[in-house]
Amino acid sequence: MTRRSPLVFGLIGAGCALLALEAMHSKLMTPAGAARMARSAELVRRAGLTDLALFTEARFARNPALADLHTAFQDSPLSFEHFPSGTFAPRPAAGFGQGTLRFGTEEDAR
Amino acid sequence: MISLHAVRKLYNEGRPSEVTALGGIDLEIARDALTVFRGPSGSGKTTLLSVISCMARPSSGRVFVDGRNVSGLPESFLTQERRRTFGFVFQRFNLIRGLTVLENVLLPAAPLGRAPRDDAERATARLEALGLGPKAHVLVEQLSGGEAQRTAIARALINDPPVLIADEPTANLDTELAMRFLDIVAGLRAEGRTVVMTSHDPRIWQAALVDRVVALRDGRLDEEQP
Amino acid sequence: MTPWVRRQQALADYTLAAMARRRVKNIGLLLIYALVIFVIASATLFSTALRHEAEIVLAEAPELIVQNLVMGRHDMISAEIIEELEAIRGVGGVTGRLWGYFYDRVNGANYTLMVPLDPKMVPPAGQALFGEALPRTRGLGWDTAPLFLSRYPGDLFRLDPAGRLSHESALVSADLILLGEEDFRAFFDLPPAVYTDIAVSIRNSREIDTIVAKAGKLLPNARLVTRDEISRTYQKLFYWREGIMVAMAGASVLAFAIFAAEKASGLSAEETREIGILKAIGWDTRDVIAMKLWEGGLISLGAFLFGTGLAYLHVFAFDAALFASVLKGWSVIYPDFRLTPMIDGVQLTALFFLTVLPYTAATIVPIWRAATADPDQVMR
Repeated sequence: MTRRSPLVFGLIGAGCALLALEAMHSKLMTPAGAARMARSAELVRRAGLTDLALFTEARFARNPALADLHTAFQDSPLSFEHFPSGTFAPRPAAGFGQGTLRFGTEEDAR
Repeated sequence: MISLHAVRKLYNEGRPSEVTALGGIDLEIARDALTVFRGPSGSGKTTLLSVISCMARPSSGRVFVDGRNVSGLPESFLTQERRRTFGFVFQRFNLIRGLTVLENVLLPAAPLGRAPRDDAERATARLEALGLGPKAHVLVEQLSGGEAQRTAIARALINDPPVLIADEPTANLDTELAMRFLDIVAGLRAEGRTVVMTSHDPRIWQAALVDRVVALRDGRLDEEQP
Repeated sequence: MTPWVRRQQALADYTLAAMARRRVKNIGLLLIYALVIFVIASATLFSTALRHEAEIVLAEAPELIVQNLVMGRHDMISAEIIEELEAIRGVGGVTGRLWGYFYDRVNGANYTLMVPLDPKMVPPAGQALFGEALPRTRGLGWDTAPLFLSRYPGDLFRLDPAGRLSHESALVSADLILLGEEDFRAFFDLPPAVYTDIAVSIRNSREIDTIVAKAGKLLPNARLVTRDEISRTYQKLFYWREGIMVAMAGASVLAFAIFAAEKASGLSAEETREIGILKAIGWDTRDVIAMKLWEGGLISLGAFLFGTGLAYLHVFAFDAALFASVLKGWSVIYPDFRLTPMIDGVQLTALFFLTVLPYTAATIVPIWRAATADPDQVMR
């Protein structure tokens, strides 16, 4: 029988080695990560923050931990997602901001 | 070597389509002999061959191989018995497509866990003896009928079985190849192997080499011929 | 080498030779399978890292937040309540928090304006500390560039930078503008003696429940949010997001299992015949099963290693570029952060058993019948 198994076992071994390397990498990165997180935690403590700045679109999204009890569209299986953050649809290309600090023509006239 | 006592074999037992393939056979097969079963198709030759070679278990009766009763053995023991004792050459050769000649020859050795190099050496030697040396790494679908049969013979012998079983070995061969096959069988006999085959080919059972012809009809032994 | 090892190797070799005949199909199968695992593993790795980060970072959040509720909605809370809370035994410090949102018409982003709790962190009047995303999305090219906010047409509110919050804390601070109390009240036109909510520090964490109960009695209309609840919100939130991904990928795992079972149970006549041949030439049922186990095992193990290995690279080297938006959401302001790699052995093991075992089983079970058939079939 043509010996294909050494090659395939080699590949499987390489896959195992990759996972092991990744596990080692994550172990090696842990102290640096912990230090970084400690500094973030320090900021959280000093500024008195309560939430991650992941979903900045709306009140119930920016501070889900402090959202009103009766706010609609909170993260629940029925609401499916934060609105409008993190939907499965991409962010609209246009319609976010004017781009500059400019004023309407009637303001210019004043 | 092999003896059968009142062996019956039914297919589809207990159902309306029940068929009696073998209807009570008593038979002795001598060691180092070339035995041929002849008979029309449907006479039970192939079934007899499979019962003898531990391929199928008899519905009733007893089969002895080297004095051991094998008719009641569970499947895994039967497989071991078959591996140890028999090599098979099937009518349609039953080579596995997509594998090379050498790979096919090594197949019966795969589950045995022997050193692969020894097996490969033995297989190569056998292929060379059969004139298939240059074809060892050719895919089996590219072989001619005669080459395919010789590959099947090499495969049957890889585990060095004392008995070679061949089912209609010359059915797909022309006269020249049939004679070549008989030459190979002569060589195997010289190696001290027992050969049992079925054939409805007069070229076979009239050959001088054949020690014994057993005629079958409707699952029973017909009159014996010398 | 023991005979057992040699036997396994020979069976694996046969399986591979047989699979090599349908090379394209089998490699395609492996890739699709690896892709399914890649998606699940990415979701798991990402979500685990994010949960871990949220847990560590938010452990420093205020122990208790007291919100005023009016008609079930969050409202400003009176400064008088601070004294009432301070009177509760076990309470360490009570501070009014001032924070609010501002929609920036220039870039369509929402900022969070906030007065830091720590007085030493409060910038001087007219100055502010900016979060990482703010200069980025407003295009403030140099460090001293002032920020102009326009609350209504014709209005400009100038904030000079007192510094920038470090990039590494972006996950909690990307959209922050930290400014002084006077500036804050002026900006939002807020009357004195009201706060957004009140942060309460508690000396002994075991007393939190008691203090929450007392505060609840004292302020029946208030909503009390403990640090544990904040942390739990995020754990649940990311579990939920991960769950969506895994549920979707789970459907594909199921589809894949059905496909595998279908493929195996609809054994082609050729395959059935081959198994018959193997049995006829002396293979045992166990040999056939072991051979097929190798097939299922090699494909699924290969797909697992391949998929998981790539998922790690995807999540931690390429910032989960393929579906970050599903897992973390998108915003005009999005924190630019890199997660600290983390592997949860239990989760990976679970993933292994959820992917490798079903596929292997799906390949094996249908083989059983073919493998236990009488070997003499090939002679008929």
